[in-house]
Amino acid sequence: MPFFSVFRHRVSATLFTTCLVFPLTSVAQQPSYLPPDSGEILSQYRERCDYVLSQAVTTTSSFDETQGDLFGVAANLDRKTNLEWARKRLRTFNEPPTGNMFWMIPMVLIMQTGRDTLNDDDWAYIRKLWKTYYPYRGDTENHWLMYYTGQYLAAEMFPDDGPEHWFNGKSSAENMDEARSYIEDWIDITISHGQGEFDSPNYADVYIRPLLLLTGWVKDPSFRHKARMILDYILLDYAVESLDGFYGGAHSRVYPRHVIVPSLNAINPLGWLFFGQGEYRYNATHIIAVLSGYTPPTILFHIANDRTKPYIQRELKRTRWRLRNAGPNSFEVKGKRTVPVYKYSYVDSDFILGSCQGGLLQPIQQQTWSLIWRGPTGSSNTFFGLQPHSSPFEGSMYFGEDPDTVTDLIARSKVDYDSEDKLQGGSPYEQVFQHETALIALYDIPKDARFPLIHTFFSRDLKQREEDSSGWIFAQGGPVYIAYRPFAPGEWKPVDWTGLLKSGAGGFVSTGFAALSEGSQSYASYERQNGYIVQIAPSREHDSFESFKTAVKALPLEFSLSPTPSATFTSLDGSELQVSYGKPPSINGNDVEYSSWKLFDGPFSQSERGSKRLEMQYDRERYILDFNTVTIEETIIPSR
Amino acid sequence: MKTLFSFFFILLFSAVELTAEKTEERVQMFAALSMTKAQESSSVPTDAGVFLYNNEGQWTRFGPKIINIASATADSRNPDTIYLACGNGISRSRDGGKTWRMTTGWEVSDVKTIAIDPTDQNNVYAATAWGVWLTRDGGESWVEATTGLPKKYSRTILLDPSDPNRLLVGTEGGIYVSHDKAQTWKHVPTSPETTVFRIKQSKANPNLWIAGTHKNGVLLSTDNGKTWASTAPTLRKANIYGVAADSSNATHLAASGWGVGVSISIDSGKTWIDRSEGLPSPHVLALVFDQNHPGRLWASTFEEGTFYTDDLGLTWYEGGIYGAYVWDLGFLPQKP
Repeated sequence: MPFFSVFRHRVSATLFTTCLVFPLTSVAQQPSYLPPDSGEILSQYRERCDYVLSQAVTTTSSFDETQGDLFGVAANLDRKTNLEWARKRLRTFNEPPTGNMFWMIPMVLIMQTGRDTLNDDDWAYIRKLWKTYYPYRGDTENHWLMYYTGQYLAAEMFPDDGPEHWFNGKSSAENMDEARSYIEDWIDITISHGQGEFDSPNYADVYIRPLLLLTGWVKDPSFRHKARMILDYILLDYAVESLDGFYGGAHSRVYPRHVIVPSLNAINPLGWLFFGQGEYRYNATHIIAVLSGYTPPTILFHIANDRTKPYIQRELKRTRWRLRNAGPNSFEVKGKRTVPVYKYSYVDSDFILGSCQGGLLQPIQQQTWSLIWRGPTGSSNTFFGLQPHSSPFEGSMYFGEDPDTVTDLIARSKVDYDSEDKLQGGSPYEQVFQHETALIALYDIPKDARFPLIHTFFSRDLKQREEDSSGWIFAQGGPVYIAYRPFAPGEWKPVDWTGLLKSGAGGFVSTGFAALSEGSQSYASYERQNGYIVQIAPSREHDSFESFKTAVKALPLEFSLSPTPSATFTSLDGSELQVSYGKPPSINGNDVEYSSWKLFDGPFSQSERGSKRLEMQYDRERYILDFNTVTIEETIIPSR
Repeated sequence: MKTLFSFFFILLFSAVELTAEKTEERVQMFAALSMTKAQESSSVPTDAGVFLYNNEGQWTRFGPKIINIASATADSRNPDTIYLACGNGISRSRDGGKTWRMTTGWEVSDVKTIAIDPTDQNNVYAATAWGVWLTRDGGESWVEATTGLPKKYSRTILLDPSDPNRLLVGTEGGIYVSHDKAQTWKHVPTSPETTVFRIKQSKANPNLWIAGTHKNGVLLSTDNGKTWASTAPTLRKANIYGVAADSSNATHLAASGWGVGVSISIDSGKTWIDRSEGLPSPHVLALVFDQNHPGRLWASTFEEGTFYTDDLGLTWYEGGIYGAYVWDLGFLPQKP
């Protein structure tokens, strides 16, 4: 029972400190959650599944063979509807085939759902595509997972085929062996050292797609079961740091449009499907999920939805593999180098404040810290800061291009990468430290930095924004009060990408960006030694905005910027937080021991480093993924 | 006396090799490239692969269309055996390019260059972004060969034709040498600890080697790659991606890089002169002396086309493949 004890202790401690500061409001206004029973959860999930398929079929433009995606083809093949359109669309879509590993995913879905529907001509056409189109394996783990999932499932359908049937000149058996070996290796590394492209509100979706395919169609029971287990694992990773379907905290990768309007993220529609959160929005992953027959364990529904008690979630992840410039803190896993990522999230019923330690932890699209609060779909319900950085050093760390071309080539698709107006990305000059609802960020930017500034995003949806004479900037985001204390003066700038977009690139990264960003501002500070404090509180814990401001202004704060930034701050919960740039932070005089960080450490999830075992807990339910034995253990602890 | 003997031996060796080359080896120029110029709003080039330059002055695709092919190498004794250095791994043809097989599994990726043992075609070596890999069975199986490499990123690998046990590899940590067929590696002490993008050996003077580096300009070796020294002072801090040695003239060398165009030496690397005028871009990433046209030098700019000169850079002529990011220019032996 040690796990249960930890859970109880943590909640008790949180409530204790909260009561100490706000005795009249904190407990009484905690939100409630009435857990639906499993039957109800499953019934509602099936209703959503039916809706997904009916939408896919009824929205098919059966008269137009140039419209619709391959997922729609798969849905119609499964339902045996619009078959003539499906056959034609399969061909028009592949003239010529494009997308590499992104192409492989819907193609194997079509092959599986069309087993009984496709005719000999269709199969001949499909077989020819697999022989003549040579997909690139890509340069990220999501690419590879999609590639090898596609390769495995396609080869599995023709297990006796020789090398002459496949683009890469390998037989079906060879392709299956190679694909399974990679996928199992990726699983092993993920459960041992953390995911590389961790907690991405966009790319989590891209991992879930191939895992759904494997879970739904792999013939080998053991492999299929393992795929199902890692799918549960990835969904837990999302559920435990989510709020109404929004993925909170620090992220490995996020896009500009999505970072300012988080409901646009690909993960949000999955929150709707799997956990009944938010609104329906089309996502092709829905179709794979429904056709695969996958049903998430009901414990995930509770973990995603029960926010009655605030909690701290600590997680250990890793960076993507570093092929150059790995650095002294890197370590090697099976011949490739990576760096640990320490994630910390405070999950409240009304918000999630989360962060990682800072540094160049992911190429291009890192979000080192963020706040999201409960907000309607389409709102800009977020607050975050960053040091805009781009460099050939970073690019060369993660990509194979030459140092002089890598930045340019990155910006061909990630238009903002080399802009000081960028809204996401890691910085080698940033250190972030969080304790519950307080966060300290420090910056020590050299003279020759590409963009010698920091900026903090103030959403248009913030209310009551005001700059206090004390130096604090206050605002309210939905049900959350925000206090921001910059250590150096700054200026308000519009979040304006007009000039950037004129350069030509953009695509889905920045489509409609002007409308999405209009009214939001950045607080930009050009002091190279810099920093700030963020203190958050749910509005329910204060009598008024004024009382919040009064409480924050009374908090002890000392900081200095020279020779390197440092700060000591007593947060609203009474903890003294101290951090000096480049040194370990401390809480009440005790250094934070990152070396003891677990893979998952929170009230709903526990996983020790190296254990290859993830234990989910909700109330008396236990759901244990044991990759050592490739088993799932579900238990209910008897009530006392 | 010993030195004098060596000098004459080298001259004799060079002459023999040159004669053999002219009479026996038919070669065709290739470019391994990605078409990036038109790549907008996408992380994927609009085209990619290996292209051969034919007698009509046209480039035609050779081998599979795969994104991220960095180089090609063929067995000089059996030109039908060809290896492609791909992002996906190492692809091999044994029938002159009619069919291809990816010989590697998922463990091998981001392959940059490949070297084949001229005395035993079963020994093949690959420099990859994740280290050196080798095969002893002609590509049927591959093993990692990074013992002694503290930084694995490897961009260029060469085998000493006079000693097939000896290889040089350009890594993120400088030039490393192996004397045991890549079983172990040792740092070449005179090589700076920086990424080495390209190493070439002069066929006309096997003692003469040239290397291009990251922020350390051009390195030169006049003792068969044993020791290295900086040359070309004006390029000393440049990123040098292209180096070339003229197989028809032992004194002619070329180097190119980012922002520095093309520089030429006509005295075996002692002095250098800039010959960038006439090129549309100062960013030149690949260089090669033409084995079919003695004295002709080819230079590929970043996305602004490939050019050639027959007068060591005084005059440049358009050579096609506009819009390409050329990873490598080289020659594939053809059947007699």
